[in-house]
Amino acid sequence: MIEDKPVRKEESAGLMKYSTETLVPFGPIHPALKEPEYFKLILEGERIIEVIPRIGYVHRGLEKAAESRPWVQNMYMFERTCGICSFVHSITYAQAVEGLTIYEVPRRAKFIRTIVAELERIHSHLLWVGLMGHWAGFETLFMWVWRDREVVLDLVEAISGNRVHKSMNAICGVRLDMPEGMEDRIVERMKFLVERANYYKEIVDTEETMLERTENIGKIDADLAERLCAVGPMARYVGLRQDVRLNDPYAAYDEVPFDMVTCKDGDVHALLKLRLDEMIVSANMVSYAVKHLPEGPIRVKIAPIIPAGEHSSRSEAPRGEIFYYVKSSGGRTPDRVKSRQPTMANLPTALELLKGQTIADVPVVLTAIDPCFGCMDRMSFMDTETNRQWTWSGEELRQYGINHYFPERAK
Amino acid sequence: MIAEILEAIIFPGVLFTIGMGFLFDWLDRKTSARMQGRIGPKITGPSGILQPLADFLKLLFKEEIIPSHADRIIFLFAPALYILAPLLSMMFIPIISPSPLAGFDFDLLAILFLLAYAAFVVAILSFSSASSFTTIATGRLVLQYVSYEIPFVLAIITAALYSKSLSVEGIVASQSGLWNIVIMPFAFVVYIIALMAELEKPPFDIPSAKTEIVAGWLTEFSGRALSFLKLTKEVSYVFGSALAVSLFLGGGLGPVIFGIPPSVLYFVYFMVKLLAVGFLVFVLKTSLARVKIAQATELFWKILTPVSLAQVAFVLFLIQGGLLIAP
Repeated sequence: MIEDKPVRKEESAGLMKYSTETLVPFGPIHPALKEPEYFKLILEGERIIEVIPRIGYVHRGLEKAAESRPWVQNMYMFERTCGICSFVHSITYAQAVEGLTIYEVPRRAKFIRTIVAELERIHSHLLWVGLMGHWAGFETLFMWVWRDREVVLDLVEAISGNRVHKSMNAICGVRLDMPEGMEDRIVERMKFLVERANYYKEIVDTEETMLERTENIGKIDADLAERLCAVGPMARYVGLRQDVRLNDPYAAYDEVPFDMVTCKDGDVHALLKLRLDEMIVSANMVSYAVKHLPEGPIRVKIAPIIPAGEHSSRSEAPRGEIFYYVKSSGGRTPDRVKSRQPTMANLPTALELLKGQTIADVPVVLTAIDPCFGCMDRMSFMDTETNRQWTWSGEELRQYGINHYFPERAK
Repeated sequence: MIAEILEAIIFPGVLFTIGMGFLFDWLDRKTSARMQGRIGPKITGPSGILQPLADFLKLLFKEEIIPSHADRIIFLFAPALYILAPLLSMMFIPIISPSPLAGFDFDLLAILFLLAYAAFVVAILSFSSASSFTTIATGRLVLQYVSYEIPFVLAIITAALYSKSLSVEGIVASQSGLWNIVIMPFAFVVYIIALMAELEKPPFDIPSAKTEIVAGWLTEFSGRALSFLKLTKEVSYVFGSALAVSLFLGGGLGPVIFGIPPSVLYFVYFMVKLLAVGFLVFVLKTSLARVKIAQATELFWKILTPVSLAQVAFVLFLIQGGLLIAP
């Protein structure tokens, strides 16, 4: 029933053939990774010739769990997919479910969704810029950027009551209205953030050691990036015009004016500037949306039963495109929910970027995609030699675990 | 005899140096915290001044884990050999009077030897723990050492050439008129940059880059060994700054103030200069990002070595040309 056949990945990577190569484990517990994920780096001296990823350390089975929970409860569960870009997950799920109903989301709710999603983008980009400083060994940038990130988190807390998991969405609307008298405060804080972003752009451009660490590192062909299905900033930094907010507007993005930020033949330095530029764009969008917030209701109350059918939805998270698919048979729980996170889409690009770099560049390059391994982890069974794929039931999986750890107890 | 032994052990010898190491650690943490918009240590002692000591004591009592592949003898005893280098070197620096504790005519050569010895001990230590991270760290460490050593020694030699003395005492004494930094500013700059590489401070914390190779060559150490290795880094910090003060900033020399005993004055001047050099290193370290090993080697070989050679040539020209009478 169960084949226990270890695959020697080192052998397939040619490690046994050449003795000058070293295998350096990167992860699963590593200071450069905030979440557990394992990469086998095969080095020749300091240069990487092969990277073998091993994902699945934080697999949580959210998609399966969704099948036994009510529609509304699922939304708050999917919000917890990611600890950084949480709100955009609930937007995308809600949009997919709303597609199955006959109701229209009120305009005011769409604007509120846009405001919170853009605030989240600012906070996510600031977090990434700070961490990039940390990975490049520039602690001061890290500390400064994260201090400014508190400004956004405070605003989000004032709006939703929470710093990270906003829990603000509802199916067909939002749960909470914007608090009274927040407008001036938000506009003023956004001005401050634009100022800071311009200052950080100057630092990133002029600080010699930072330039040496980021320029001409992590370069990739636009064609290759497109073939590897790069999404979000990883597509825009090589010049691909790819942004769901513009290509397929959702929420209030068709009413709030903004420009897509792209650059040509990017490297990590360009990526830093791209994310800071996007932050400025987002800050302006928030100011605009707050000033032009329409009056009206914020939600439509709906029954807990969603009509049968299937629908998909996508949106632009700070890290790239998020995709949700839902299928209903007209019950209180979904039949199937499928979600795809940007990290999963960008991982092949990151592995391609790593080849040929030195080990000193690994944290900088690997995290250029802004990885969120907790969102990404999926699981499937596959034999790499015969390409055979299969599925296991829970009991079979348990039996495999027993066989693996206690060979003497195996039948 | 007893007074001399006490001097060597307590002040201005071993204990004083270690105390200064803790003080430097605290200042380092406090300065970088303030520059980064943080508070830094604040609980142990006034403004957290005792935090480094508390950390040291805590680590002393932690369990020591020895990797099974490690070379046990080197792994256990090399930290003790390592701390000897900066402690011994401090004996050649005049701190409270113009004559140091254990100075002799060629003690600068002994200092150069001890610097090389320290790098050698670290490389052996790193290699003995036998893990992938320390193996890479050893490679980086040795490459960094061969990069910074030549400009470092050239900068030291410039001061010795100009002062026509191979003892720290003689070099300090020769600066009673004009400090060496005025004659050889580039040698001082090269010295500070090479010192940061020697101390593995950012931007040259390449052998212990925490986001790349965990803790570099310190990865496998724990407990007592780790506490002593960390202490040694701080003491090396003090020694590096003290050598800079002696070679380029005139040691404890300064204007005489009547009414204050000269030895007290000498010590006060020395400490002020020592903290100034230390502060310079803290600020530089906080405001720079880490470079890669190839970039560091390029910097030292392509830029700093020619600069320090030019400084040596300039000083030789001054002496030979007699444009300025060397003291």
